[in-house]
Amino acid sequence: MRKILLLFILTVSITCFSQNKQILYNFTSVPQSLLTNPGSDVKYNWFIGIPLLSGFSANVSSSGFSAFDLFANDGVDFNAKLRNVVFSTSRNDKVSINEQLEIFNGGLKLGDWQEGAYLSFGLYQELDFFSYMPKDYAIIALDGNRDYLGKVFDIGDLSAKGELISVFHIGYHKNLTEKLILGARGKIYSSIFNFSSTKNSGYFYTIPGTNSIYEQVISANALVNTSGFTNYLDNYSGNVKSDIMKKTLFGGNLGLGFDLGLTYYPQENIQFTASILDVGFIKHTKEVKSYAYKGYFKNEGLTPDFIPGNSNGNVFQEFIDAIPLDTLNTKYTTWRPVKFNSSIQYSFGDGRDSDCNCLENEMKFKNSVGAQLFVMSTPRTPLMALTAYYRRKFFDALEMKATYTIDSFSAKNIGLGLSTTIGKINFYVLADNLLEYRDISKANSLSFQLGFNIIFPDKNTPD
Amino acid sequence: MNKFLGILILSSLFLSCSSDLDFDQINQLKLEPVVVLNLATFDVPANEFVIGGIEQNVAGDVVNFDVFRDTYFTDSLKRADFFFEINNTINRAYRINLYLLDANNSPLYTIPIDVPAYTGVQNLVTKTEIFENAKLDLLKKTMKIGFVITMYPGPALSESSLGSLKLRSSATVYFIVE
Repeated sequence: MRKILLLFILTVSITCFSQNKQILYNFTSVPQSLLTNPGSDVKYNWFIGIPLLSGFSANVSSSGFSAFDLFANDGVDFNAKLRNVVFSTSRNDKVSINEQLEIFNGGLKLGDWQEGAYLSFGLYQELDFFSYMPKDYAIIALDGNRDYLGKVFDIGDLSAKGELISVFHIGYHKNLTEKLILGARGKIYSSIFNFSSTKNSGYFYTIPGTNSIYEQVISANALVNTSGFTNYLDNYSGNVKSDIMKKTLFGGNLGLGFDLGLTYYPQENIQFTASILDVGFIKHTKEVKSYAYKGYFKNEGLTPDFIPGNSNGNVFQEFIDAIPLDTLNTKYTTWRPVKFNSSIQYSFGDGRDSDCNCLENEMKFKNSVGAQLFVMSTPRTPLMALTAYYRRKFFDALEMKATYTIDSFSAKNIGLGLSTTIGKINFYVLADNLLEYRDISKANSLSFQLGFNIIFPDKNTPD
Repeated sequence: MNKFLGILILSSLFLSCSSDLDFDQINQLKLEPVVVLNLATFDVPANEFVIGGIEQNVAGDVVNFDVFRDTYFTDSLKRADFFFEINNTINRAYRINLYLLDANNSPLYTIPIDVPAYTGVQNLVTKTEIFENAKLDLLKKTMKIGFVITMYPGPALSESSLGSLKLRSSATVYFIVE
């Protein structure tokens, strides 16, 4: 069993593929919606995710280009396609990959039926990769600097980070009044590996000179931090699988964080929600290695000195000395990308079935329409997305949420989520960018999410 | 009816198409950057050719040029053009020789440049050396460059003579990375 588990974690870790979960957010018939808002208005007596199957989500986004643009099997030379991609993107285009796999997840109602307090907990593994288009680096690699005299190449164009972490979380939420639910979730992060290079600066330029043919200057302040890799760089005799397992279970570089959220009903049929997720940090102290390029160099070429006895050294050595590559072993801290969600929803239509004696807001209405806002911090300007949605309960066992989202990756992102509960088994599947499924290779963004849970519904009546 | 609708919607989620992609194309990656940089600069004033009242007809210096130690750099180097521009404002003619030297200081290749005497009008002397194929292989063995200036006979110089012999030089380097 352990082997299967390991294999599964590894496969997922390797095969994967922003983090906006617009379909899941506030889709309260899916227990995993608690992870997007600890103050979600959920109605279960208790639930438990089927281990490893309760939640899997993957999202790949790329503004500026798609897999088709680079890898289409159309007979066009790959290098020509690469040039097109590089020159049609800007330094603010980005590639984002996020994957989450729940290892276990559960929740239960605390106290008696009136109290409305819930406890939820779980462990999930998350893979994140985020990179801006390193445009100026790509231009240098493709063309060099000959045709770019006067252009200032920006060393800050390199901005990328990636990590594999496991997150243990425990959340509590409570109906403070009939109208207000507050929730909080504490998180312990264990980083399995991390690299981050997001605060680079500097420039490189070549312009026609006077004393020399060119005035050529490079000023660099670049830093790449890594943790969790050092054991594998040299002769390694351990076992990678057991390392990952150990680090998943708090053996990695540790960090702390929290989520906060609320649901508020100003009127019976109007709902407002908001959450802030992953306010937290990870301290990297183990297996740390950093690479720094820092310095200033003006290249005048060889400068022979004809006064007898004098001689000028070595311009290349001078360059290496001016901007050395330093390898450091200093600790560093990374911040988790902070996510903010908010929604407002209007409900209508009588949703009460004849056999339903529920009194809570949610169940009363068949239809809901609403709007959501998502904001996530990135190394430069925050990512934002606006979603309009429609939710409908078709019959007792099927609930649907359709979304239309606008963000920097796509202006016509249609998503659909379905959650069915048959008996006590809940199955959900959520996917967005449905229009792109006509040809997924041309998609700029795709995400999907699915899972199985066992749910014991809330009775809301005394036993 | 609702159930049927649900199943229909669910199953449509799993229908998708994809154009034919070929990720092996990455093997066709070929980068051909062309880099320009300063190769050498000097500016020798006329009075440096006079030491203790005596004209020095030959001056020289040897500088390290061990950039080809880096094999990755050397392997991807396909062509190098050296460009020289000399502005002589001394009323004497010169011969500038650049010697490409190997690790044992043996000359591999010589670049001679003849510079006429200054006559009151700017006269830029330019020269371009293209290193390709066998000639490039010689360049790749270069570890040092010797600069030797020979002054041809002419009107005497003194420590108060004006003018200078100025060289500006750049390299245009062609790489192919596959």
